[in-house]
Amino acid sequence: MDHRFQVSLRGVIDLLSHHLYSSPGVYVRELLQNATDAIRARQLLEPGHAGTVRLELMEKQDGSPPTLLFSDDGVGLTEEEIHRFLATIGESSKREALAARRNDFIGQFGIGLLSCFMVCDELLVVTRSARGDGRTLEWRGRHDGTYAVRESEHPLERPGTQVFLVARPDMTEWFSAERLRSLARHYGGLLPFPIQLTAGGRTERLNPDGPPWRRDYESASERRKALLAYGRDVFGTDFIDCIPLRSTAGDVDGVAFVLPASPHFNARQKHRVYLKHMLLSESAENLLPEWAFFVKCVVNANALRPTASRESFYEDEPLALAREALGQCLRTYLVELAHEDPRALQRLIALHGLSVKALALDDDDFYRLVVNWLPFETSLGVMTLADYRRAHPVVRYTPTLDGFRQVARVAGAQGLCIINAAYTHDAALLEKLPHVVPDAQVERFSAADLPQSFEELTLDEREAVFPLVRMAERVLAPFRCGVVVKKFFPAEVPTLYGSDAEGAFRRDAERARDESDDLYAGVLEGVMASAGGEPAQLCFNLHNPVVRRLAAVTDRELLKLSVEMLYVQALLLGHHPLNAQEMALLNQGLLGLISAQLGEGGGDEGGNGGPGPRGFH
Amino acid sequence: MSGDWREQAQGLWEQADGLEPGEGKVRLLEEAVRLADAHSDTGMGYMLRDALIDAATFGGFPDKALVAFAWCRGQQKKDPKRFDPEGMLWKQKWVVGRIKEFPHITRKQIADALDDMEQCFATADAGKRSVLKLRYFAAREMGDTAEAERLWAAWLAAPRDHLTDCRACELDDELDHHVDKGEWELALRKARPILEGRQGCAEIPHLTYGTLLYPLFKLGDLERARELHRRGYPMVAKNREFLATVGEHLEFLALTDNLSRGLTLLEKHLGWALDHPSHRDRFTFYAAAAFLLERMLAEGSRDVVSLRLPKSFPGHRADSGYEVKALHAWVHGQARDIAARFDTRNGTDRFSRLLARGQILSKEIRPFQID
Repeated sequence: MDHRFQVSLRGVIDLLSHHLYSSPGVYVRELLQNATDAIRARQLLEPGHAGTVRLELMEKQDGSPPTLLFSDDGVGLTEEEIHRFLATIGESSKREALAARRNDFIGQFGIGLLSCFMVCDELLVVTRSARGDGRTLEWRGRHDGTYAVRESEHPLERPGTQVFLVARPDMTEWFSAERLRSLARHYGGLLPFPIQLTAGGRTERLNPDGPPWRRDYESASERRKALLAYGRDVFGTDFIDCIPLRSTAGDVDGVAFVLPASPHFNARQKHRVYLKHMLLSESAENLLPEWAFFVKCVVNANALRPTASRESFYEDEPLALAREALGQCLRTYLVELAHEDPRALQRLIALHGLSVKALALDDDDFYRLVVNWLPFETSLGVMTLADYRRAHPVVRYTPTLDGFRQVARVAGAQGLCIINAAYTHDAALLEKLPHVVPDAQVERFSAADLPQSFEELTLDEREAVFPLVRMAERVLAPFRCGVVVKKFFPAEVPTLYGSDAEGAFRRDAERARDESDDLYAGVLEGVMASAGGEPAQLCFNLHNPVVRRLAAVTDRELLKLSVEMLYVQALLLGHHPLNAQEMALLNQGLLGLISAQLGEGGGDEGGNGGPGPRGFH
Repeated sequence: MSGDWREQAQGLWEQADGLEPGEGKVRLLEEAVRLADAHSDTGMGYMLRDALIDAATFGGFPDKALVAFAWCRGQQKKDPKRFDPEGMLWKQKWVVGRIKEFPHITRKQIADALDDMEQCFATADAGKRSVLKLRYFAAREMGDTAEAERLWAAWLAAPRDHLTDCRACELDDELDHHVDKGEWELALRKARPILEGRQGCAEIPHLTYGTLLYPLFKLGDLERARELHRRGYPMVAKNREFLATVGEHLEFLALTDNLSRGLTLLEKHLGWALDHPSHRDRFTFYAAAAFLLERMLAEGSRDVVSLRLPKSFPGHRADSGYEVKALHAWVHGQARDIAARFDTRNGTDRFSRLLARGQILSKEIRPFQID
């Protein structure tokens, strides 16, 4: 007697194909999954049962759509189980319900079968249970929701299940021998029992013997060669090394491949993962710790929970533990490299420094091991931290590129070695140093710190520049900027503007206040009132000829104007944006200089060589 | 030359883009903003500040977010066609939501900023739900208890609209109210979609795990509290934005007598507290640290502890040996000073009461091994 499901099967199939599956080809995966579950269930009843999955493609002479016979010698279904799986189908009209049912054998069986309706309109299942009364039952279902269950007229000789799929005319492309071979290999290539494909009178075995990383090899180098070849096969990349992976949590094993080029920063690698030897996903991302973006891996997990779409793992405690353990495998690899082949580690750092640095930030012991080999850019060239610390007891760094530019030239001329820590992780790594290496001294450095390294004036020089200092202090007080005169190199730099990080932020806030409306300008006043930090400082260089001459100037107006211009110039050279007040200074100053020049030259329009406006851009 | 600096600013922006939220990301964007300003490129300055507001908000620099927003706001007023205020309403929420955390900003300024936001939102046809939530939190934080009660009801009754925070964030925000009231079970029940991973956001569940430690502790569900600590702490340990949540973990460790582990947190995060722009977050951290050190004193096994504290710590010692008593006095003093500043500004005693919480907690200690 024919029955009809109470739900719209069409609706369920739509739900599956649009929300749960990425391509019609997954019907092969679902059938393989059902066969695998059935064989495993039978192995529990009969230890030693080997199990085989067979795909037989029956092509028609007349060119009508082919039929695929998909069979296993697994545990088979009893009549009661058939009714249970039918009930599952009947209830599976919601995505959540579907997902929940996948966790039991019968539920998965029903949902797996449903996926076949993506590629065919009619399905025949013939099954004989290893637990039943020896009868063979058949279920014939159609995509319109009608089905019939009855005892088969062609009993099976042994327990197992056969599924007959007649290809839908518009889906025959999913039934070619070539496509079946590649799909079955793709999803079931690591299964521990044979998958056979029969087509055109030929039978072949599709899967080799288990995962390549579990095979025995003659030697370590043979093993490495074979695994790298496997990596090339899977990902199409020539990797530079491979690392064994193993985690008790989640029962995971596999192999990680080291990428031959630096990946885009923080690019999460897509890994190929198998669940109980069935392909789960080629784009699992949540398997490794964040820092480990220098490898791609292939793993099999026996005890992690797949997500509803079965395309990655569910984020839970076992996954977190597995991730930690796999991270530990990668770490062990790096540690061994550090001990046994430091040169290889340095090559790896050159390529995957970001991963190494990210791990070092997370992990104190690893940090201790590698920090000395990390290269840094300094005002005296690139060097490793070990070299730096040998020559300079205190590690000084600037956290921004602009900060580095402001000091690099002058510091270099003074023989001061300053690290440019503007690169990703560098500042954090250096700040960590005293926490991990007890005697290390690390200091943030800014242009404000430079004058400490400059040469002091003699007593006579001090007297000579006194009027300049007095005037400069008076002029710059409204700008919260102090004044100092020292001698430093290079001599062509007349002044240096220095402020600490708070000073730079205060300047940002001032500009915002200048621009904003009353409400927010008022709020910013409050912010600035509480901002800490030292006042900024303008350091004059007495090695500079202009500054030397300036110290001798007695015309107070000219002195004032010159100080103002030197101040603005120092700001511009240091890439400090001007606030409204400073912008006014610049404009007035330029006009003042031009008119002074015009006055001096007595109207001579040629204006020979004096400091024109161009000099300040 | 002009192409050169643009490339440089673009490069900084891209580099920042690839970073996790935190100080590094903020620094890069600030640098790019300064470049744009130095070349008087208002359009670029606006775009970069737009990104900087995000980075600063999620990287623990609410003061920098405020400054960047204030500048953009000025541009919107001058040229609303070019700089559409509506595009920044979402960020206005973040900025206005945090100004109460600076004690030097007056009550009137806070009220004005909230009123102004209400107007801006009305202009954009958004409902009042967003501003009601912020008003509720402002009233709660400033100790206006009756007003907070009224606003709590008004907030939840207002309909959601296109500018309302996502469901995960709102749920997380609602938990604070229940924790205040000691409604532990209700808090946990409400948090279920977050705990089960069905809802999340940029800072959820990071914040939620911290919030729920005390409710779970009170309910005696120490196993789950431990799990939330284990999972939650690594989520917040690398971003100073989460200083207050680190404080919650610290408090939990002290409550469960995991003093050594607690000291490790104190040592690692004190540097954040020293110069954290949010005095509110500093307070939570210092209060928790004071509670931890009180436990150390009460236990009395050790007068001096070895800690690697940052040089910027005023009592920094080169030999790394710190007297527990002196350290306790210092962090407690910090918490007390901040509490006094907030209470003065607010004209209420909310923070003094929060400070007194340590005494209640010390009667609730229940040792439970974390490791």
